[in-house]
Amino acid sequence: MNRLLRVELRRLWARRLTWWALVGVLAVAVMTAFSAYGSARPPTEAQLAEAKQMYQQELAAWEESGDEQVAECKESEEADPDPAVDYGCDDMEPQLDWFLPPQPYFVPPAVEATDLDTYAEERGLDPDDVDAGAAAISASMWSDWGAGTQRIATSALAVVAIAFVLGVSFVTAETSSGALGLWLTFEPRRRRVFWSKAVAAGAGTVPLTVLGTVALIGTVYAVYAAFGTVGDLTSARWGEIAGFGGRLVVEATALAMIGAALGAIFRHAAAAIGVAAVLAWVGSLVTGAFDVAQAWNPVVNLGAWLNGGAIYNTQQCAPGESGIVDCVWVEKVVSQAQGGLYLLALTVVVLLVAAVVFRRRDVS
Amino acid sequence: MSETAGTELAIETRGLRKTYRSVRGRSVGVEGLDLRVPVGGVHGFLGPNGSGKTTTIRMLLGLVRPDRGTATIFGHEVPKQLPEVVGRVGAIVESPKFFPAFSARRNLSLLADAIGAPRGRVDAVIDEVGLTGRARDRYRTYSLGMKQRLAIAATLLKDPDLLIFDEPTNGLDPAGIREIRQTMRGLADQGKTVLVSSHILAEVEHIADTVSIVARGRLVASGRVADLIGAGTSTGSVRLRVSPQDLTIATSVLETSGLLVRREHDALVVDGASDPAQVNRALGERGVWVHELAPLQADLESVFLGLTAHETPGGHTSAGRATTEVDA
Repeated sequence: MNRLLRVELRRLWARRLTWWALVGVLAVAVMTAFSAYGSARPPTEAQLAEAKQMYQQELAAWEESGDEQVAECKESEEADPDPAVDYGCDDMEPQLDWFLPPQPYFVPPAVEATDLDTYAEERGLDPDDVDAGAAAISASMWSDWGAGTQRIATSALAVVAIAFVLGVSFVTAETSSGALGLWLTFEPRRRRVFWSKAVAAGAGTVPLTVLGTVALIGTVYAVYAAFGTVGDLTSARWGEIAGFGGRLVVEATALAMIGAALGAIFRHAAAAIGVAAVLAWVGSLVTGAFDVAQAWNPVVNLGAWLNGGAIYNTQQCAPGESGIVDCVWVEKVVSQAQGGLYLLALTVVVLLVAAVVFRRRDVS
Repeated sequence: MSETAGTELAIETRGLRKTYRSVRGRSVGVEGLDLRVPVGGVHGFLGPNGSGKTTTIRMLLGLVRPDRGTATIFGHEVPKQLPEVVGRVGAIVESPKFFPAFSARRNLSLLADAIGAPRGRVDAVIDEVGLTGRARDRYRTYSLGMKQRLAIAATLLKDPDLLIFDEPTNGLDPAGIREIRQTMRGLADQGKTVLVSSHILAEVEHIADTVSIVARGRLVASGRVADLIGAGTSTGSVRLRVSPQDLTIATSVLETSGLLVRREHDALVVDGASDPAQVNRALGERGVWVHELAPLQADLESVFLGLTAHETPGGHTSAGRATTEVDA
């Protein structure tokens, strides 16, 4: 087995596609850094001047009619039937920040996750309709829209997809060229042959995904660092980033093995990739149609493993007091642990099915 | 099959059967095949296209699972004990199949590593088949003949005792065919057993010591080539040449003697002549002198066609036919 594994690893890295995949993950890193360039840059002098000019205009208007605006605001607030409502009438004076373009950072400012009640209130939801953990996931650096870390989390999917395609191609290239038949005349123990290929597909892509992950994080960090907009990057947050990188490598490795297994089952790269895409799409459709099934959506679960959890929205309907069905939006959470177990189970099941198929199938 | 009783067999199958399912139903690839290949020499495995040769070879190599029957290689039951004997078997099934983007050397070194063969063996077998100059070129740039030679090199990596070649000369030019033929003969002369399947019978006739003929998945004849030809043929025909101006009179003389005569280009073929001297005498008595006179020998092709002519569609032999066996 070890000998076969070594040979398969040699074959993997002798393939031109593997080197193209390496170029691909590096290209993903460069493109992500390029897209981050625009937002990482602090406001230019011209933007600052324009913002100050607008601020001065608004401030002048405020000095003329600010008292009237506050009075009108308070009048409306008092007229509101909700006694707890806050129109923010005391914070109406214009501030320079309002006119500056938003400034994303590599890591967003560390914020304490709000308590569930506040979180639900901010979203106009009943606290009973929000899963515990949603606030923490929402406050995570991987969810903060525009932050460097959120860009990394989005581009990580491309790294995973490249590893999957590499795994598929690693097996289907052998089947379509007919070389598998010759291989089996040298090593007829199908079980060993299959596992050597599957493990090689996973283990062989580790250097590629490690390099891709380091490049992805490194280039995006470099862009923000160049503009001095790294943000609150403490050692604890570096630890979180390293953890993300580790999970990305694990997920890419699992997907490469799943790809190899699907390649063994379907024998053609287009078929294996197409089936996986259709299953993901159909899975989303089916789980979208049945609220309870959304927790098993493959895309949601794989995202949950990578990003420390995932939130999905669904409707819950129940007959109201008047007998009319009343529907409300609720937020549900897929935990990182569930995402990890899902990935593990998916990998094991697909590999076992492929092993049985590979062992029993006639090779033509 | 008493011809190999008591002798060591390289390959033996008993009642081997394989059917394929498709949307059009079930088709029989091999139907109860009993095959015996003695150790040593070249054994021709003959049959028309679709007769089950490749399927049989695939079953022997564990690539296809038989529905029924048993097969052994050097006494080891396959596919169950194939790992124990695979090191003694080199095989090319149909056209050579390697990784097209890899060089010949890389393709062979992967195979060599898989079986733990020393790296030096790769260069040795590449040299043996005359591909040293192209060893670093990509396989996809190879001509068909070079691909075939590389496939032979791959089989030699193991230094096998049994070599299985499935239609090895398909698509090759005459020089390539001769080269492959000489290679196979040379391997047999080194004491190895060579099983070569082909539907080109004349080609196998040149190199095979023994043959098995299959049709529609069944064995219809087996034995030594010379015996098979001798057993199946006594044509009683002669081909003769006379001067062009004597062709008409010669035809007339022979027909008068009660023989059947037909023209073949500038020669005459006389059927029903049990003794060529009878033909010579009849013509000589009428002053027609024969330039060339040769009894027509049956070849493997005519034997094969004779044996398989009665095969009916559907994978069954017609009633009353029996497998021809010849002492080897």
